[in-house]
Amino acid sequence: MTESFRRPAAFQVDDPRVVVAEQQLVLSESSEQALVATDSRIADAIANRSRHWRWGTLFWSACSGLVLLALGIAVTNFVEELFARTPALGVVGLGLAALAGLALLALIVREIFGLIRLGTIDSLRHRALTTIGNDDRDEGRAVVTDLLSLTRRMPQLARARHRLETHLTDIIDGRDRVQLAERELMEPLDTEARRLVLSAAKRVSLVTAVSPRAAIDMLFVLINALALIRKLSVLYGGRPGTIGVLRLFRQVISHLAMTGGVAVTDSLLQQIIGHGVAARLSARLGEGMLNGILTARLGILTIDVTRPLPFAALPRPALNDLVGILLRPEGREAGDLGRSEPGKPEK
Amino acid sequence: MTLISQIVEQARLAARALAEFGGGLFNPTVRLGITGLSRAGKTVFITALVHGLMRGGRFPVFEPLASGRIAAVRLAPQPHDAVPRFDYENHARTLVDERRWPESTRQISELRLLIDYQSQNGALRTLTLDIVDYPGEWLLDLPLLGKSYEQWSAECIAQGRHGARSGLAGSWLAHLVTIDPLAPADEGVAIEAARLFTAYLQACRDERYAMSLLPPGRVLMPGDLAGSPALTFAPLELPEGAEPPHGSLSAMMRRRYDSYREVVVQPFFREHFARLDRQIVLVDTLAALNAGPDAVRDLQGALVSILDCFRIGRGGMFSALFRPRASKILFAATKADHLHHSAHDRLEAILAQMVAGAIAQAGFEGAEVDVIALAAVRATREGHVRGEGGTLPSIIGFPAPDETAGGETFDGRSEVAVFPGDLPADAGALFEPGSHAFRGLTAGCGHDTDFRFVRFRPPQLEQISEGLPALPHIRLDRAMQFLFGDRLQ
Repeated sequence: MTESFRRPAAFQVDDPRVVVAEQQLVLSESSEQALVATDSRIADAIANRSRHWRWGTLFWSACSGLVLLALGIAVTNFVEELFARTPALGVVGLGLAALAGLALLALIVREIFGLIRLGTIDSLRHRALTTIGNDDRDEGRAVVTDLLSLTRRMPQLARARHRLETHLTDIIDGRDRVQLAERELMEPLDTEARRLVLSAAKRVSLVTAVSPRAAIDMLFVLINALALIRKLSVLYGGRPGTIGVLRLFRQVISHLAMTGGVAVTDSLLQQIIGHGVAARLSARLGEGMLNGILTARLGILTIDVTRPLPFAALPRPALNDLVGILLRPEGREAGDLGRSEPGKPEK
Repeated sequence: MTLISQIVEQARLAARALAEFGGGLFNPTVRLGITGLSRAGKTVFITALVHGLMRGGRFPVFEPLASGRIAAVRLAPQPHDAVPRFDYENHARTLVDERRWPESTRQISELRLLIDYQSQNGALRTLTLDIVDYPGEWLLDLPLLGKSYEQWSAECIAQGRHGARSGLAGSWLAHLVTIDPLAPADEGVAIEAARLFTAYLQACRDERYAMSLLPPGRVLMPGDLAGSPALTFAPLELPEGAEPPHGSLSAMMRRRYDSYREVVVQPFFREHFARLDRQIVLVDTLAALNAGPDAVRDLQGALVSILDCFRIGRGGMFSALFRPRASKILFAATKADHLHHSAHDRLEAILAQMVAGAIAQAGFEGAEVDVIALAAVRATREGHVRGEGGTLPSIIGFPAPDETAGGETFDGRSEVAVFPGDLPADAGALFEPGSHAFRGLTAGCGHDTDFRFVRFRPPQLEQISEGLPALPHIRLDRAMQFLFGDRLQ
């Protein structure tokens, strides 16, 4: 061999130089913080993303800075005024202002941590996808370890996590390990996610069907969609604040724009039939149906965006399944609504 | 003559396939082909597979078992009454209780496994898994099906005069030049030639040479044919183009060679290889690396010629009826527990390079192909040794008695940490013709070799409350998932 290859060697096992590999790897509780703080790839990912929005970010940062300054000056003036009037009132005002400032700081910090966590989930998904492609053993182990610390606070996964942890020291290749983690950890979450999407879709279709004004349903659909995004994100381990939810919303919308064309072809028929039948019964009901289906689609896309692993070992929830379930109880509800319909004009 | 017999053979295969296709509709069956030369670990693989399935071992990657969809696994009477049963119980006892590897296989044997499972949509089903074990030497005969006696003789003689084999073939070749192939047939000469030829083939199998390409295989592992005329033949140096006269020695040898192919090889192929659904090819790459570059190239030659005989590819409706093929083929470098897991990728690369032609061919035919480093029974733990030049990723286990490494002979009772040497990052370098890239045992430099893969004893199992646990393994679950996980959906 021309390169410097190491020669074979044998040692007695009680030789002090021999170190036996740990049979059981135990994750420390603090590794979650370590994950958030030290993973440079995540920082890179966030940096990459923010580069695309530099001007927008600059604009909004500058604006919020200005607003904060104005607010600060207003509050300072107000507190000074209070002091001028009665010193006791001034002390109370100062205290309240300090509390408000502290709360604002806490909010900002939470928002930042929420964003970092969303970034972690995004990068975890990308890494998992790469690992499934190249079957890298070490990277697969790293992905699963990170996933374990991400889901550490989820009590419903305690048993699954334990099962997965017992396999950490086994020799399993990257792709298999990621898929194993998906089967173990994501299955209960996926079931719950489907339930969330379905109930949101039902709610939307019901409210649209009975609401008196179009503006109200639009508002309701929007609020419901944001709530759904937030719930799904929390379910899959994110902790988004307001900005986090808005960012997710933007991702979902752009995802919708990208996959919309494909999704339309595979479920258009279903939608037309569903919409058509319901619309025959009542125009309002048809609208409700359509809004429900749109919410279900939005929910599925949100699952894609918030899930820390891509769908590889488990099936991605299909719109048709959800719509099928949505249509069935609607049939019963349509009967109920039909009966209540004559009462409406009296209002 | 050969054309007619080939047509008859194909018609027979098609008829059987048709009959089995009908049966398979009601009772889904997977015929799992376990292909491997001798000492590649076929028996251990089958035993570990059955043991693990029946005990519900740790197989996280094997989804049906890990997700709890497999209700029970049981052994069932095999389909062919004339073939011995695979002695699973004895092999398992040898492995688990006596901590020895099973003896090398001398006879063909069969095992049928029934897997009761629940499909993803909730239906209760049973999958039948048919497994065949046989002496790996017999596999070497398959390439003979496509070779005439003259071709085979010429190849054998050329091989014997070349490379590491020339030292071993001396007495046989010396005897060969004294024979006149055109002389009248003489049984004594034939027996002597066959004896010397067999001795030469046996010598090639020694651990120091680890040659693989040694047809005819029944000569090495005769089964119940020992001493019969169908085995008493040897290659002869034949004059070019001349038709041997009737009654001459070469005519007799040719007749015996042909009857060997017809009586011995073809039935074996027909019964066990022509109709496989899934195939795993076990390759003991490490033994060849132990011995040296000649052994590696020899192993490659043997694999290439064997894999040529198989029908691999995705079948359509027509081929499922008349020409069944293996639709998935897994190449496994066995004894992966003799290496630290960080070296597994390189081991896989070496194997992939070795069977590159077969992989390309299988991919072209539409079969799914995968290459893994496998240990059906994991005999070692992992660790590292801190040395002067950084840490050495090592494996720790009980070496088999009388194994040697680094000038030391082990007694089989003490545990040792072994660093087997670094595998090359560029697998292609091992196969370049004429290169002597590394030194193995063949080179005769004693203990001063570039690799030393020590054989370990099977692992000690710790008693748990439900009796003995399943045997530890490396990637056996991945192999099972690949080979028949999709049939358990």
